[in-house]
Amino acid sequence: MRMIQVLLFQGVVVSFILAQIQADSSAVADSLLAIELQAQMQNQAPTQTTTPVVRSAPTTNPDMSAIGDFRTLYSTNGSRNIETYFNALEVQLSSVVDPYASANFLFSFGRDSLNGDFSAGLEVATLTSISLPYSLEVTLGKFKPHFTKVNILHPHAFSFVEFPTMIKNFFAEEGIFMEGLSVSVLVPNPWDFYQELDFEVGRSFVNNSLTNGTKNDLLYIVHLNNFFELSDNSTLGVGFSGLTGPNAFIQRTAMTGFDITYKWKPVQFNTYNSFTWQTEGLVSMSDTAKGSTIKSYGAYSMLEYQIEKRTFIGTRFDYAGLPGVEKSADRTASLLLRFQPTEFQILALEFQNVNRNYAPNYRQVVFRAIFGIGTHAAHAY
Amino acid sequence: MKKYLFINILVMLFFGSSVHSQIKIVTTIPDLKSIAEAVGGDRVDAFSIATGYQNPHFVDPKPSYILKLSKADMFITVGLDLEIGWVPPLLNSARNAKIQKGGEGYVDASVNIPLLQVPSNVNRGEGDIHIYGNPHYWLDPLNGKIIAQNICTALTKIDPDHRSEFQANLKKFNDAVDSKIKEWEMKLSKYKNTKVIVYHNEWPYFEQRFGLKIIDFLEPKPGIPPTPSQLAKIINLMKRENIKIIINSPYFTADAANLVARNVNGKVVTLGTSVSAYPSIKTYFDLFDYNVQQLLMAMQ
Repeated sequence: MRMIQVLLFQGVVVSFILAQIQADSSAVADSLLAIELQAQMQNQAPTQTTTPVVRSAPTTNPDMSAIGDFRTLYSTNGSRNIETYFNALEVQLSSVVDPYASANFLFSFGRDSLNGDFSAGLEVATLTSISLPYSLEVTLGKFKPHFTKVNILHPHAFSFVEFPTMIKNFFAEEGIFMEGLSVSVLVPNPWDFYQELDFEVGRSFVNNSLTNGTKNDLLYIVHLNNFFELSDNSTLGVGFSGLTGPNAFIQRTAMTGFDITYKWKPVQFNTYNSFTWQTEGLVSMSDTAKGSTIKSYGAYSMLEYQIEKRTFIGTRFDYAGLPGVEKSADRTASLLLRFQPTEFQILALEFQNVNRNYAPNYRQVVFRAIFGIGTHAAHAY
Repeated sequence: MKKYLFINILVMLFFGSSVHSQIKIVTTIPDLKSIAEAVGGDRVDAFSIATGYQNPHFVDPKPSYILKLSKADMFITVGLDLEIGWVPPLLNSARNAKIQKGGEGYVDASVNIPLLQVPSNVNRGEGDIHIYGNPHYWLDPLNGKIIAQNICTALTKIDPDHRSEFQANLKKFNDAVDSKIKEWEMKLSKYKNTKVIVYHNEWPYFEQRFGLKIIDFLEPKPGIPPTPSQLAKIINLMKRENIKIIINSPYFTADAANLVARNVNGKVVTLGTSVSAYPSIKTYFDLFDYNVQQLLMAMQ
């Protein structure tokens, strides 16, 4: 019975993707009409001269976008195996404030997995300088800090459907959020390669490793990002992160992390083929009330290949311990098929095999549709 | 005596270097770099983010470009949202007030360009529509003169001491455009109103200037890859209208164009859309020399 359900589910997903591919298969009869219309338009079109055409009216409205995230999944975990739900809506407003700063607000309407109710939340609210000297940039407000490379991403911007397990286990479904101050500087160096140092301080939101503190115990994060152009077609990014913040034992947790990203994209045909290898890892050391320190580890490594303009395949292996718990870990293998009809729609099918030494193993297949309207700020490289 | 000589050398080095310090320019596409170099002469040191054989809509905003922008005195953009997918994250991270929108060094090269295809309403169902009009305006060499004027105005603001030099260079550039355009128009005059199919809607300015007639596109909608139904429609259209030329761009695979060409006994011509698209295209003038030559070879 389960097999039939899985086949049915996959059939629906594949049909949906094929329908997208074939969406433009209009009949030849339609094209005749289109040709006639085209010919008429060509004949009627006035000779284009050098008369200036009035541009669209300027506006000071911020860039506004709404991004939906719909999911259907089949899981072998528990007795309720099939879920289909609208996962979240993100609404973003961003704009330059004045000649000195820009602002970004991101509201999330997320679904409670237990009762299905939606609640609104403020995910990001930042003011960022754009004109400080010495290559400085200062951000204040609520934001996703630069601990690891993946943490700053929002789920729709990540290649895979599920965020890396190390982020989910050590922090929360979407990583760390904090309120405070972020200072970033481009570090001058004799080799003239891109090196950016971020320092962040503030209060963390409660997650699996950190609390928002009881006294003046703040969260401190530092991240060093190095970027090298290996050739016109390939780049290498290497980053190091560190944090220290209050934990649930009313002690402190310290973490260090690294990230390596290799990207290959042929400049001339960069819309057709690309390859990305990204690996990140972290070590967590949680001081406990008893005076001991619990070490745990997390890492993931992913490969993604763009096989043609709109289709990507990928695989990922995750290992993630649990913060403050020794010898407990998830080992997850994932396979991904992603189809992007346009920049504004992403359809993804992901298979995961999850092995846990502290709970039953399970497998799942998730289908996700991301769709956006409006003007959404482009993501960083 | 030695002491005075040493001080003199230091002073000369200091003032000498300031006199010869160049205006650092970053442009989005190589055509703007070429024109900036023509107007700025040896007073400018220009760098283009995109290469000539790269699709200017889709450039990766690599952090190394942020480094270039952080040190730039001037940033020249095509504008009209052509680079909306990659310029904003670069500018936002550049930490350089001079080159931000509204800054002295921010140059929107599209100012005063007579735009084509400005939509009266916009719907993403029509594909990648540019709300301000078709942004591939540099493919009309007469628009090159307007771009050059915009760059000259900005250079004069940044370095007013060399105004006359920039003006002289501008005049030289404009004279060269006027002279070359006659040559190009004359060469193509025999083929005026020749019907062509193009891959993407990026040739209306070139079409208008040189009298080609673009009948349809391989893309069913801007930004959407060719579909079998669209190719079938184009094949029928080309057979019926006796169209033999398909214009491709360096960054689109020629598979779809070749397939259609085989079915209609036509020819695929890959034209340069920007300077440095091919090794022989070193300047803005080379771009049109190359394209005119390619078209002549295909049409003869």
